[in-house]
Amino acid sequence: MNRTDSQGSTAVMSDISSHSFKDNNKTSFWKKTAKTVPGSIKPVYGAQHPPLHEKPTSGGNSPRKDSKMQQPLQKQRDAFEAFAEKTSDAWDDADDDLILMANVKMSLKDVHSTAMQVMHDHSEQLARREASPGSPKDQHRTYNTDRHHMTVSSTPGHGCGCRPGGPGVGVRLKGQWVGSRSSPSNIIGNGSPNDQLSSKCEKFKTMLESANIDLDDVKTMSWSGIPGQYRPTAWKILSGYLPPSLDRRQPTLERKRQEYYNFVEQYFDTRLQEVHKETFRQIHIDVPRMSPLIALFQQDKVQEIFERILYIWAIRHPASGYVQGINDLVTPFFVVFLTEYITDDAELDMYEVSNLSEAAVRMLEADCFWCFSKLLDGIQDNYTFAQPGIQLKVNALKDLVSRIDNSLHSHLMEHHIEYLQFAFRWMNNLLMREMPLRCIIRLWDTYLAETDGFATFHLYVCASFLTRHSYDLQREKDFQGLMMLIQNLPTHHWTDNEIGLLLAEAYKLKFMFADAPKHLVHKK
Amino acid sequence: MSYAYLFKYIIIGDTGVGKSCLLLQFTDKRFQPVHDLTIGVEFGARMITIDGKQIKLQIWDTAGQESFRSITRSYYRGAAGALLVYDITRRDTFNHLTSWLEDARQHASSNMAIMLIGNKSDLEARRDVKREEGEAFAREHGLIFMETSAKTASNVEEAFINTAKEIYQKIQDGVFDINNEANGIKIGPQHSPTSGLPASSPGGNQGGGCC
Repeated sequence: MNRTDSQGSTAVMSDISSHSFKDNNKTSFWKKTAKTVPGSIKPVYGAQHPPLHEKPTSGGNSPRKDSKMQQPLQKQRDAFEAFAEKTSDAWDDADDDLILMANVKMSLKDVHSTAMQVMHDHSEQLARREASPGSPKDQHRTYNTDRHHMTVSSTPGHGCGCRPGGPGVGVRLKGQWVGSRSSPSNIIGNGSPNDQLSSKCEKFKTMLESANIDLDDVKTMSWSGIPGQYRPTAWKILSGYLPPSLDRRQPTLERKRQEYYNFVEQYFDTRLQEVHKETFRQIHIDVPRMSPLIALFQQDKVQEIFERILYIWAIRHPASGYVQGINDLVTPFFVVFLTEYITDDAELDMYEVSNLSEAAVRMLEADCFWCFSKLLDGIQDNYTFAQPGIQLKVNALKDLVSRIDNSLHSHLMEHHIEYLQFAFRWMNNLLMREMPLRCIIRLWDTYLAETDGFATFHLYVCASFLTRHSYDLQREKDFQGLMMLIQNLPTHHWTDNEIGLLLAEAYKLKFMFADAPKHLVHKK
Repeated sequence: MSYAYLFKYIIIGDTGVGKSCLLLQFTDKRFQPVHDLTIGVEFGARMITIDGKQIKLQIWDTAGQESFRSITRSYYRGAAGALLVYDITRRDTFNHLTSWLEDARQHASSNMAIMLIGNKSDLEARRDVKREEGEAFAREHGLIFMETSAKTASNVEEAFINTAKEIYQKIQDGVFDINNEANGIKIGPQHSPTSGLPASSPGGNQGGGCC
């Protein structure tokens, strides 16, 4: 299998160092509470059990209210605080390698010069691309034309501007996925091999095989994309799951994998209990519905793995529980870690997971669980009651776009498009519904390399993603046209190149706003 | 495209009852057996004709999971019609109707037309809720009722269109203040002169009582 082609021309960005200027203090907030036993079962209710503060009149609103506590509290904020105090779950777990990762600092000068370099490289790259036929920009235009053409022809008579995929059908159902027998490179990247890439592979090899590596080096190298064959190890290190030091890796893996299976043994049977039945039932009906057109995810064996991962996570994090959308967040880890066990040219999205040895499947599952957990640790407030993290980020996105592309922002406002209407999903599913999986995997190389990548940097990526479509959006002249486009932005043809540009722009925004944090403080 | 009226709808109901599939069948005339989860809300639209008038339907399809209620509730306001969906093969989705209805009554305009839909009527062998039960619930709460199948398209058009007819009738009866867009109704640029309203002023006309 050719995994070396997974990063393409984004290699121009290989010099970027990309660490946050300031560490967020969120970690400490979540660590304040005294150490408690992770997963201790207390009557704590997460996003799916909101009625803590509900008025008696609305008490009947919740289909699942029956067994929930009905303690009326006065204000939502109070309710949340009270609720946060009562909460004890795995987020309070002090045994967390992530903290170790959070202390990366860089001089402003370095950052500035690399940013300038990136901008320069990218404008050159863009100029080159524009000069060549069949460039992504051309494809983009063509696709738009197609889209409108298909729109008209697929909905004769009602002229509703419905997209070909229909409402609710994400980008993953379009383009290459449809009936494609795509090669592994279709899932994990499709850049073309080149000299830069092979030198990068060499660097990764040397780095990952050396006895003692500096986490900062891994971050710096990974920011601009990780070659496919080194991605599983790099992701595990960047996630804070594997220690950088070589000789500690194997013992850690063994310990953590065993720990996961202890959880499974301890908790998985609780799914049959009355209090947890509903959580499991929800996961059980959701898992078969994810990524419906990727054959890999339709296999029973794979679905069972996802069910266990999601259920164990949910039961150990009662403050949020299982929230729809987080199931998507397992898929990149699953696909990337699966490549570790496939040696031939098997097609990844068709791969028969039951062909793997039982031992391999167990390792794969445990690794996915831990990396998925580490990811969610950084964005927990996205999934707690009323999803405050998402609300804040959507507001921050709105503020940011109004500053960087006011004509687009005004256009959206003029046509009564609310950011929450489209960006909620961007935050809840980390853009996974907005672009193909192969692009998400490339995007996560950078998110994992960034400090606070899935929270703060994601916000800049969202702003970059929106403004990238500014021209097309401003051509839509009514609410309906805008809404149809904005919930289906044309990305089905995207490759690592587009992601590279998106990230470069996001990096620039981060650079511009990181020194002016007030720009992003949401006005209450 | 010109239209006489624009009606805004919301589709609500438990997760997995087929809300997105109903919308897809209605807007695109196709069925997707496995449909990805709806996150937050998703938007769809289609033009229909009632009484010779073009009516544009703009539809918010909502996520059914409880976690998203704080988000989806804000879409009740501003909807003229609601499709409240349950799954005839899962009794719990029927049992939850009362709480959905309370939610709607609390957050929506009091005149909102509500269509109760028992979906998945093609799965007769697995039926868990009798048709009569659905009818009785609808009667008791003053809703319109239909059983549909998003898979076979049975009654899907009718469900959306009959809801629009109900709204249209309420407009004729003067129940709705059509100048208040918060009711989920907007007069289009091509409003028929026979209704006695100005032809080309979407928001600015007076004399809403058009009957």
